[in-house]
Amino acid sequence: MHAALYGFKDIVRKEFLHILRDPTTLVFALMLPMLQLILFGYALDFDVRHVPTAIVDLDRSPESREYVARLQSTGYLTVVSYLSSPELAEQALRRNDARVAVIIPAGFARRFGSGERPAVRVLLDGSDSQVVAPARNALQRPPETPPKDSVDVRVNVLFNPQIRTQVYTIPGLACVLLQMITVSLTSFSLVREREQGTLEQLMVSPVGRLGLIVGKIVPYSLLAMIELVFILVMGNLIFDVQTAGSFPLLMVLAVPFVLAALAMGVFISTVAQNQSQAMQMTMLTTLPAILLSGYIAPRETLPGPLYVLSAVFPVTHFIRIARGIVVRGAGLADVFPSVLALIVIAVVLVAAATARFRKSMA
Amino acid sequence: MPHSPHAIELHGLTKRFGSFTAVDALSFAVPRGSIFGFLGPNGSGKSTCIRMLCGLLQPTAGTATVNGFDIERESEAVKRSIGYMNQAFSLYRDLTVEENLTFFGGIYGLHGARVKQRKDEVIELVGIRDYLQRRSGQLSGGWKQRLALAAALIHEPEVVFLDEPTAGIDPVARRELWDLLFELAAAGRTLFVTTHYMDEAERCDQIAYIYLSKLMVQGTPGELKALPEVSPAGTRRIAVATARPANALMTLKRQPFALDATLVEAEIHLLLPADTEDETVLRTLRDAGLADVAARPIEPSLEDVFVTLTRRLAHDARSAVRL
Repeated sequence: MHAALYGFKDIVRKEFLHILRDPTTLVFALMLPMLQLILFGYALDFDVRHVPTAIVDLDRSPESREYVARLQSTGYLTVVSYLSSPELAEQALRRNDARVAVIIPAGFARRFGSGERPAVRVLLDGSDSQVVAPARNALQRPPETPPKDSVDVRVNVLFNPQIRTQVYTIPGLACVLLQMITVSLTSFSLVREREQGTLEQLMVSPVGRLGLIVGKIVPYSLLAMIELVFILVMGNLIFDVQTAGSFPLLMVLAVPFVLAALAMGVFISTVAQNQSQAMQMTMLTTLPAILLSGYIAPRETLPGPLYVLSAVFPVTHFIRIARGIVVRGAGLADVFPSVLALIVIAVVLVAAATARFRKSMA
Repeated sequence: MPHSPHAIELHGLTKRFGSFTAVDALSFAVPRGSIFGFLGPNGSGKSTCIRMLCGLLQPTAGTATVNGFDIERESEAVKRSIGYMNQAFSLYRDLTVEENLTFFGGIYGLHGARVKQRKDEVIELVGIRDYLQRRSGQLSGGWKQRLALAAALIHEPEVVFLDEPTAGIDPVARRELWDLLFELAAAGRTLFVTTHYMDEAERCDQIAYIYLSKLMVQGTPGELKALPEVSPAGTRRIAVATARPANALMTLKRQPFALDATLVEAEIHLLLPADTEDETVLRTLRDAGLADVAARPIEPSLEDVFVTLTRRLAHDARSAVRL
């Protein structure tokens, strides 16, 4: 066998023993994503509905009651209380008893009858920006029929017709979790060797550095692949997120992503002195993955410098690939620019990590 | 030159980290089949030197050969022919004794029937058969060190480096480990051992003492004790026993006849002019109010050797500064 790769098979066998032997690794690798999937899947629902709403009906007419009923029927708002004055409504918002208050002035029915546009005052709780949009949706939709001269807009939502948040978030979540698990497992396993002195024991043996690195990477990338399948299967079972495109294609394109993440793990292991430092640094890589990658908010909303920065993270590109394949049924040609970017990043990271690892051994 | 009489040879081996010289031009040779004691205080450069000899560090200057292989140009060959046992237990704690041995056999190219045979041999040698299925992290300190030794020997290395192999294990385990080392040396292996225990140093065939990154002295324990710096002509050495050795030491150090006085295991080792009688010393102590005093002639111990040489060197360094 080539000298640099010497001992590769023995390292692989040993790593599998470590994984099987250490229940915390397995729990961490399998249960954590499961838990996060369920938590994020349910909690991270941007499709906000049933916003608690207070009504101040100063008109008390059949028309005003009908208006309130129509607001409720949009599903965005749920009336939680009827109050007697605008002041009380403001208080209700401040106390968080309601997020929205709708104030119907006296004379609402009379104006309605006379063909005038009746005015309604709405108070919105701006402290939670997620509330504002659905409330606006509800309030702008119900009353009038469109004016005669307006354009007839027929919206046709492609790919996610029910506009369910999970369809959009779960492929992203799979990418973020994959990165987190891969980075932490690799960095932990190397830092542990350093902490326990076994790295030195390996370095005085004929084991090649490449053999050591590759021997470590193989088992963990395999674990990462199982992880990816696992998350997507769970996403399908729990949240009914179907993969529209080719699953095998997604798995193949995951390879450069996993390699990039493993390289980040190796990199961390050369800096971190112990496992808790490795943990903190893993978190440091996870945060931008969550915030800047387009997982939560579209990257287009990022200010200029951050937008450019976000293109450096491998997860940004893999999320685009994963969403393309899972949600839009994209083929290789459709996601090719992202694939190219991902491969470039992976090559640079692996080269940098290997160089840095060699140096840290000397 | 694999049949050189020396298993290890150093020629001006030097390692500098920035402006700090950790190992300063070390030159010595280790005879094949010997137990070679590599001694010196912490921070004197022992570990750095071992790390260079094992191929973990590149020397800044000088050369060395291990088993006839150049440590820089033939580091792979060096690695295959040496065993290494660290002071800290550095095997995989979550793997069993047997899995550790299989793994370390494997990375030295032993597989199948060969590794099985070698495992059997080292298991027999260190006597760890009863614990094969135990996770190595759950072994006691002495058994851990035996396992580490077994792993270091699995590929039949000609030279074994042992960096404080007995640090932190109990006296019985320590003695048993040394019995094993003698067995290995008798079988022709070269053992390069660092230790802080003087009784272990006494058992070595050869000793090199490192101080402030430099080789201070090298030789057999007998040769070191006979060094003129340690036992100058016209002097003799006695051990003085008393109930309050610390007080006695203070008293004796003030006497003109005390050429050197050190406390060693509740006795005072005293270097005297050959014509100073024991009775002179004992009388001085009785006059100072110390009872139950006794003296007996002794050979210098290795501790005397190192203390004397270290003091001398520190003294020389101070005089040099004064000039």
